[in-house]
Amino acid sequence: MKRVAIIGCGQTEFKSKHKKTHPEIVYEAAKKALEHAGIDIKDVEAVVYGCMDPFDGIYRPELWDSTAVGVFKPMMKISTGGTTGLTTALAAYDTVASGLFDIVMAVCVQRVGECVDAQSVLNTAVDPIYERFSGVGAITVAAFQATAYMHKYNAKEEDLAYVSVKDHENALKNPYAHIRMKVSVEDVLKSPVVCSPLKLLECCPRSDGAAVAIFASEEVAKKLKDNPAWILGETTISDSYYLGDRPDFSCWDSLAIAGRRLYRAVGIDDPMRDFDVAELYSPFTIQEILELEALGFAEKGKGKDFAKEGITAVDGKMPTNPSGGVLCTNPIGASGLVRLIEASLQVMGEAKNQVENAELALAHAWGGTLQFHTLAIVSSKKKLG
Amino acid sequence: MSHLRVAIVGVGFSEFGILKEPFYNISFLAAKKAIEDASIERGEIDSFVLGGYDNLGVGRTISNMYTAPAAGAYLRHETRVADDAAFALALAFMRVKSGLSDLCMVLGFGKSSETPIELVELQSLDPFFLRPFNLSLQMSFAMQSFCYRKKYGVKEERIAECIAKDTENGSKNPKAFLRSKVSVEDVLNSRMAIYPLRELEIARWCDGSVALILASEKIAKRICDRLVWIKGIGWSNSGYYFEELETLPATKSAAEMAFKMAGVERKEIESVEVMDLVSDHQPMILEALGFAEEGKGIETNLEVNRSGGAICTNSYGSTGLFLVANLVERIRNGDIDSGLAQAMSGYAGKRALVSIFGV
Amino acid sequence: MGDVMEFEVWWRIPFRHYAGVHATKFFEGLKNKKIFGVRCPKCKRVLVPPRAFCERCFVETDEWVEVKDEGVVETLSVTYMKFTGLPEPPYAVGVVKLDGADTGILCYLGGIDLSDWKKVHETFKPGTRVKAVWKDVPEGKITDILYFKVV
Repeated sequence: MKRVAIIGCGQTEFKSKHKKTHPEIVYEAAKKALEHAGIDIKDVEAVVYGCMDPFDGIYRPELWDSTAVGVFKPMMKISTGGTTGLTTALAAYDTVASGLFDIVMAVCVQRVGECVDAQSVLNTAVDPIYERFSGVGAITVAAFQATAYMHKYNAKEEDLAYVSVKDHENALKNPYAHIRMKVSVEDVLKSPVVCSPLKLLECCPRSDGAAVAIFASEEVAKKLKDNPAWILGETTISDSYYLGDRPDFSCWDSLAIAGRRLYRAVGIDDPMRDFDVAELYSPFTIQEILELEALGFAEKGKGKDFAKEGITAVDGKMPTNPSGGVLCTNPIGASGLVRLIEASLQVMGEAKNQVENAELALAHAWGGTLQFHTLAIVSSKKKLG
Repeated sequence: MSHLRVAIVGVGFSEFGILKEPFYNISFLAAKKAIEDASIERGEIDSFVLGGYDNLGVGRTISNMYTAPAAGAYLRHETRVADDAAFALALAFMRVKSGLSDLCMVLGFGKSSETPIELVELQSLDPFFLRPFNLSLQMSFAMQSFCYRKKYGVKEERIAECIAKDTENGSKNPKAFLRSKVSVEDVLNSRMAIYPLRELEIARWCDGSVALILASEKIAKRICDRLVWIKGIGWSNSGYYFEELETLPATKSAAEMAFKMAGVERKEIESVEVMDLVSDHQPMILEALGFAEEGKGIETNLEVNRSGGAICTNSYGSTGLFLVANLVERIRNGDIDSGLAQAMSGYAGKRALVSIFGV
Repeated sequence: MGDVMEFEVWWRIPFRHYAGVHATKFFEGLKNKKIFGVRCPKCKRVLVPPRAFCERCFVETDEWVEVKDEGVVETLSVTYMKFTGLPEPPYAVGVVKLDGADTGILCYLGGIDLSDWKKVHETFKPGTRVKAVWKDVPEGKITDILYFKVV
């Protein structure tokens, strides 16, 4: 297997709406990534493209966007729900690792802002035969987790609110983030309840924008970059479909299983000690808490204290989502790639909200009705140790 | 590049037809058969790559929420390519080639009986310049046929022979959807659907699922005696707007990549499966693949579409993989030693994938 | 240059979904106010809603088991915001594990005032026993169960 590194990244600013067409946004992000990598579009040998079609009101947008990045290049489309951003990146990684190509571009774009109502689209993910009638969308599903967790561990609404405060604080330092405003615990608690117990300021926005990352084989990466972000390992996991199959909503066992597998494969003994920063996919406050516990950073029931105690702050013991995370920026099909990009920028030493001496980072995305997870580990070094 | 080759060690088909079960139940059957065919257990598969069209074909956003468990990916590594499942074969190939996976399942599903596919495909046109014209997918194929016949002066009687040949083959293939023979006369007597294409020249839609098990060389040799190697794969696209309709540049480009990787000559290929969604596609594809000169695709002696081609089995999402699977089975059975399969998707075949197999 | 044009576009695509044999039987059960699940021959779990195969064991399921129309709440949430095409708020949804089943089902919770979510969460907190309130004349649809109320 070839060693692979990310040599360039680009993001557009994420907003409610870009006044541009689909391919124009892709072009913008691609241009930035190419500049960062120091290469030209003709050096890109293949493209992997990801998007969650229905939100953007265009079926198979890769056809249209090929005009921006991929005409006459081998171009593959990945679509896996919320994990799309990261699975697209991993498909690009697979392409380079296989030896078929040396420079591959991963492109993700999403224009949730153009969709008048995202929840009605998300409702179409839910099975029309047994479950769609219930009006369940992504928020309800996270609310289920919050209810179960708060009941089991006696967590308070404030505990969750601190996650939102921390994410918003971080987003202020990220020029690409969508929501950039300071919020207090009180602001969060006073915001209207959307799906109890989650309130508006505990939920992600609908964001519009694109992200691009360029993957290169070891030989090429070494020539082009002093500080590439090496991919040390990846994994994905897929649970059964029905929401009611989840044995326990107060924990995310499928993520825990995936985490253990990945740590074992890469040689991570103690995630808290080994990782310097994590970019986890939490469009809702409760999910960061569940993810920290599932991934072994916090013990069961203790994740709720991390934000309040400053453990997950950018200068804390386990900086989590220094970019502001998905809570502040959610271009759904691209969010997973943004996590990987932010994690990579951290280990490259080029992040806007830089964690000091970050060398090892974890990127995560989840999708479906709590069904899928994807994980990737990036490092400033070619291998662990 | 890893020197270990990638082989196909298991194949499973569901029935292909208008199936009154949800797409995931159909997929389960194909997956189960492939696992049984390879004589392995679900737990031995370390990677699942799903393929097929998302959301609109099946009315559910994120279709792999349903097909992942059906493939056997419960608590396992899984990802999904959103295109004809032949494209999923490419990703699966790379995962095994790289060493990331030893035993990988590729599962493709096709579901067209629950919604009008023309309306679905229409949404892929941009809302500003193209969609307002309500140009259906088949209309783009008709445009191609018109340009092809005009440029090369090929008569409709000759093109109709492709339908006669395909349906003759389909009638002998128990796996195909359409099993009745159609003569050139039948084609020419069928009503004009979209000029110049007659009704019997356009592939009909159906449902069906197919699964393949890929294995890395060392493991493959423990599983199967006669191994079918994936010798080369290439894929490409030719942009978005409509130019050069009488040729298939994406297929040409994909073929170049596949042949280069495989290191074989055209003349070494014994049989070809092409995704002829309309009659003219057959000669057009053969030309793009390099088996015939421009305009002469109708004159090749090559064995084409023993499965019946897409004309007999067109299951929106798994057609390309169906053709691959038919070809692979014939190589495994010893009928032939080498073959090539082509798939395409999108308006006017703007995305294409070519795969080359051999012993 | 002036402001950029915006196009309003709707997708109106009809679907007729085949429910398949298993779901069909489930809905027929509802007509008789009965809830059916399937038992996996290998792991013996009773799966509700019923499905054609057990994902864990990867085998077909065809042993039908009737489960009770009452059970335990696992989690819940009350929606207060209106989303296009989704029900009028407030509505409470939960996951309930019915007696006899090994998996939970998604359902409405009701029978009480939903305006104060804290009260709803207290009334229906995880562990609460609930029972189905059926439509007087069931039609063989998932909405035959109007909601689950506290026992």
